[in-house]
Amino acid sequence: MRTKRNDAGNLSIDFLVGFTIFMVTFIYVATLIPSLFLNLQGYSIDYNAVAYRTGVILVEDPGMPYNPPWESLPVSYEGNILRFGLALSDGTTTIPNVLSTVKINQFFCSTWVYPDDYESRALFGSYPYHFNISLQTAGSNVTRSVGEVLPENYGYSRRVVKVKEESYATIGPDTGSWHPDYRTDDYNVTTHLFTIFLNYTALSENGPYYNNPAYQINPISPMGEGIMVNLTDLENTTDTVYDAAHGIPPPLINLTDIQVERSVMVYNGYGYSPSNKGFTPVQGSYELYIDGNSTAYSFTPTTPPLNITSNVSLVINPFTLNSWGSQGINPSGKITALNITLQFELSHGDGFLNSTQSQPYGAFDYNYDPANVTQPALQDGVMEVAVW
Amino acid sequence: MVNDRGQLYTIEGIAASMIMLFTTFLVLNATTVYTPGDSHISDMQLEQIGTDSLRMMNMQENGSAGTNPLIAGTSPLQDMVDNLPVVNGAIAPAPDAFDPTNAFNVTFTNYVDNKTGSETDNLHYTASVTYYDIANKTTGSLLLSANRNLSGVEHPVRVTEWVIAYRPVPGDVTLTEPRVVLVEVLLWRD
Amino acid sequence: MARLSDDAQWIVMMGFVVSFSFFFLAMILNQSTVVGQTSAESVLDFPKNDIRDVRSVIIQSTSLVPVNITAAHGLILQNDIETISLMRKNAIVTYSVEWPAPPVTETFVNIHYNNGVTAYNETWQSL
Repeated sequence: MRTKRNDAGNLSIDFLVGFTIFMVTFIYVATLIPSLFLNLQGYSIDYNAVAYRTGVILVEDPGMPYNPPWESLPVSYEGNILRFGLALSDGTTTIPNVLSTVKINQFFCSTWVYPDDYESRALFGSYPYHFNISLQTAGSNVTRSVGEVLPENYGYSRRVVKVKEESYATIGPDTGSWHPDYRTDDYNVTTHLFTIFLNYTALSENGPYYNNPAYQINPISPMGEGIMVNLTDLENTTDTVYDAAHGIPPPLINLTDIQVERSVMVYNGYGYSPSNKGFTPVQGSYELYIDGNSTAYSFTPTTPPLNITSNVSLVINPFTLNSWGSQGINPSGKITALNITLQFELSHGDGFLNSTQSQPYGAFDYNYDPANVTQPALQDGVMEVAVW
Repeated sequence: MVNDRGQLYTIEGIAASMIMLFTTFLVLNATTVYTPGDSHISDMQLEQIGTDSLRMMNMQENGSAGTNPLIAGTSPLQDMVDNLPVVNGAIAPAPDAFDPTNAFNVTFTNYVDNKTGSETDNLHYTASVTYYDIANKTTGSLLLSANRNLSGVEHPVRVTEWVIAYRPVPGDVTLTEPRVVLVEVLLWRD
Repeated sequence: MARLSDDAQWIVMMGFVVSFSFFFLAMILNQSTVVGQTSAESVLDFPKNDIRDVRSVIIQSTSLVPVNITAAHGLILQNDIETISLMRKNAIVTYSVEWPAPPVTETFVNIHYNNGVTAYNETWQSL
């Protein structure tokens, strides 16, 4: 029998009811699907991973570029710095967990903008993390930090580190300092030359513990540390003893000149010694601290003589040492022999400040002998990285 | 006019709804939600701190030994291992005022508990030295230091550091030295 | 009897299709969280500090020979390292030393480390 074709366009109520029930349930189930994706949020879970990674990058890596090192690049070249790193390195060997003071100072320097500069060079990743990186060394109350105040919950990484400190030489009549006892018969000579000799070859190749960078006094690139020479208790070194009770005035000691000269070390058959072609002067800057005065002096040929009562400190920063090594006729840093000569004018005769009689270089040898120079020490520290 | 020709639609609709709802319930009940608080993260942080601290203790403090490597200068951890008295077996160096157990306790807790700022952490540890006994062809261990005894419910992390000890260890008949030992520390947080 | 009307069976079939697809989706997502390793686990797994440490002690102990200890005693140190590594660290560590023979002035140490998951090989050369 022929079924009557139904083209009236009406739907039966039962169909509508059934279909409505189905559609309502379907829509409800469809809205539950996003809850399946609840556990796949990527960003909040990996705060600890990012903190760990940042800690490793800062503490175990010397940064990029590492030779010439990123901390030596001038401000205009900061786009060339690809990655921050604080670990000590001499260009080939990196000592993880031992940090360089120069790099620390550059990293926490206020010219970097938080958070953009640090994000692209230490944190990495496209998500805009908040972070706080802080470093504290033992013996200092100051905590250096960069970043925001910590919230309630954050990813965390803590690293135990050592910070390499600079070497220094203390020269004076006291038993604790190096006492050259240069007293000669030339008590009537009033101009004395005290020379500090730096043998770059020995310093960069004969370090302790197989030239471990953590214990090296490194004057050449990549940035080593600076040096400091303290001449102390100078009023007690002259032959005329200062005695206020009997009206004997303290000796007048004037620092009249500082000369820096460079030569090269040559092999003379049984060892290395400065070339007999002589020393050539080089230009550079240094800091002088007179009598504990924290104002630094810089010496120019027109500076009048500086009067010294008791002590004088000469501080040379690592950038300067490196540049002195590369000036001159043969600009190869490693074979440099450097003489820093301080010229003193004295009212009383004194052989102490005359280093021309010492062996073998006729100067105070700034080397790895602990009796001469206080060697670089490693200071404990802790670094914390928080990311949220 | 009203007949039962469309009733099948209603029944089918209800049946389909029941199926979908039941499946949804089954699925959502069974999905595990990943929570970020699993113990691997705290284990990783503890292990990092522990290895860093042991490594810093095994570094010489400065280069004052001069250019003669290794023999002249020892690290603090080497000193502690060298001065550890041994109850049985080899003869140890004569004990002097230096107490290696106390020295290790002070130095190690200082390293692991130190934080930037004024707060300190509070970690517990047990440290021992593992050596190889040549005579008995076995490894043995000596207790170095501890600031809490293990009771079994803690969740510790083990960190180690190799040390060259300038002393004989149990089993050395002819008192030869140096020997290589492993300092093992179990570190945990309450 | 009259054939039962099966015009509405497509509704139930749609219901089944939706259910099965929901089930399938949930299964896939569930497996994805189980298969991946958390980054903390990978950090704990990789023996970075172990390798650095054992490499450093191997180089130190070979550097003691021949000035401070004899070569025979160097073998005792080697046995110490290899045995304790195997017994306590679950890692196979072997190394061999090529002493300087003129005209060569460097010492070469071939270090091999394998803890079952990570293998490390190095030839260290003295200065």
